[in-house]
Amino acid sequence: MSALLEVEGVVRSFGSIHAVDGASFAVEQGSITSLIGPNGAGKSTLFNVISGFVRADAGRVLLDGSAIERRPAHAIAQAGLVRTFQTARVLARMTVRDNVLLATPEHPGERLLQSIVRPRRVRGRERAARALSDELLTLVGLQDHADALASTLSGGQRKLLDFARALMARPRLLLLDEPMAGVNPTLRVQLLEHVRERREREGVTFLIVEHDLELVMRVSDLVVVMNEGRVIASGAPASVSADPRVVDAYLGAPP
Amino acid sequence: MSTIASGDFWAFVGVVAGIYALLGLGIQLEFGFAGLLNFGHVAFMAIGAYTMAILVVKLGWSMWIATPLAVVAAAAAGVALGLPTLRLRADYFAIATIAFSEIVRYVATNEETLTGGSQGTINLAGAGQAASYNGDWDRFESWVQSTLRLGSKDAAMLAIVWLVALASCTALWAAGRTPWGRVLRGIREDEDVVSSLGKNVFAFRLQALAVGSALAGLAGCFYAWQFSFFSPADFAPLLTFFAWMIVILGGLGRFFAVPVGAVVFGVLFAGTRFFDFAPFAWFDSAERAYLRLMLIGLAIIGLILFRPQGVLGRREELVLD
Repeated sequence: MSALLEVEGVVRSFGSIHAVDGASFAVEQGSITSLIGPNGAGKSTLFNVISGFVRADAGRVLLDGSAIERRPAHAIAQAGLVRTFQTARVLARMTVRDNVLLATPEHPGERLLQSIVRPRRVRGRERAARALSDELLTLVGLQDHADALASTLSGGQRKLLDFARALMARPRLLLLDEPMAGVNPTLRVQLLEHVRERREREGVTFLIVEHDLELVMRVSDLVVVMNEGRVIASGAPASVSADPRVVDAYLGAPP
Repeated sequence: MSTIASGDFWAFVGVVAGIYALLGLGIQLEFGFAGLLNFGHVAFMAIGAYTMAILVVKLGWSMWIATPLAVVAAAAAGVALGLPTLRLRADYFAIATIAFSEIVRYVATNEETLTGGSQGTINLAGAGQAASYNGDWDRFESWVQSTLRLGSKDAAMLAIVWLVALASCTALWAAGRTPWGRVLRGIREDEDVVSSLGKNVFAFRLQALAVGSALAGLAGCFYAWQFSFFSPADFAPLLTFFAWMIVILGGLGRFFAVPVGAVVFGVLFAGTRFFDFAPFAWFDSAERAYLRLMLIGLAIIGLILFRPQGVLGRREELVLD
């Protein structure tokens, strides 16, 4: 296996706070990797740096070998690195289906002239996108809500919509920020199945920030542990959970 | 009052409402769709009107060439304004746009050799020579009047303005339903989400600003033809806010709400001048002219209290979480 994402010595401060302080790790192609750590460890800031929403003060981020740390967020997404947000951010005054359709990559209809000059090509693409969006909404169990405004969804449903929307963007690497927060236990298991299935069927690589440790240990190939802006351990779930530094920093005193 | 029944007067009100509708359509696209707070919209109207008039008077070009160029010039000005300012936060962008519109007005006032200065377009050809850009337009208007067998030139103007306004409205409505419009609506909701999905938010906003400015430029040309003379004072910031009132009255996020808002605004604005009964009769006519702005303000406050979505808006789209 080779690394799809490499994070090398990333530093990012806000004023005197070193949110990320020289973090380095790699995400293997086709893996499910989890990024864990106590609150304030710098996971969210690191997510923002990787996805281009926050500029790193120093360090490099490589996607498939090419540097992305200076590229704007939309260009990083186009390169195949797609993220979700910690609190599901749905486009409230748009329908659930439009939320998903919006993520269609390279849609010719998003160029105003193409809609006028080549309407048939645009309509064809839109039909295909609609079919795929219906499929994804069925996958996350939101098919009955497709025509409702996204503002009518519950917190957990919004998380699922966020997930379906991110999949619509056809990611190679999907960064999920606390995908299980607010999702009920039955749906969690389903969501996890979807993650596994996407990995098996389409080779999507996952990097997940998650607080549900039991779940993290069960699903991940590799766990990266952060504390105070640095990576303090990484490895297979079993070895990480036995690491005394991790126990110390994250899990609290041993029982 | 005799004028209340006058068809000419109401045709005039209708023409002005049509011009405002064109102006409001730009605001609807920029704010109702792309979430841009453009408080300098009138600048693009001025740029359209002046470009058309200058090309016709100074270069002797046909109106039929000058007008498309005027619309392109307004769109180009939108792009020129957007390039440095669209990355600003929404409130700073709003300040930059209102400053831009005042800069345009002051340049038009002071660049006398180019624009005729504060005396307006009558001075375009230099002192002592009354300039007119309206020749081609008058011929076209007469042609429309005789072809459609209309009673007056005002009626012809009314037909032309509203045909163009409704055609623009329909075109925007169609554009709003394309995937392009979907991205704009997404940006209005949450621009971070849209860029996280690989869309260049800046480029989409720039396009919205260019199209909105082009519409304002077109509105400027109609304004110029309607009044056959204009000066920088005609493009004060108040006009931008008239366009905003129209969009709010009609309802945000719906293009066909704009013509409705424009008619409501036009009737309120013009109709208040007939308020010669008590308590309005206590004021003289000059004072009543100011009174109508207050009445429109009250109408908007009432609307926001009781029907915040506007005349045609959908209430559920207004509720945030």
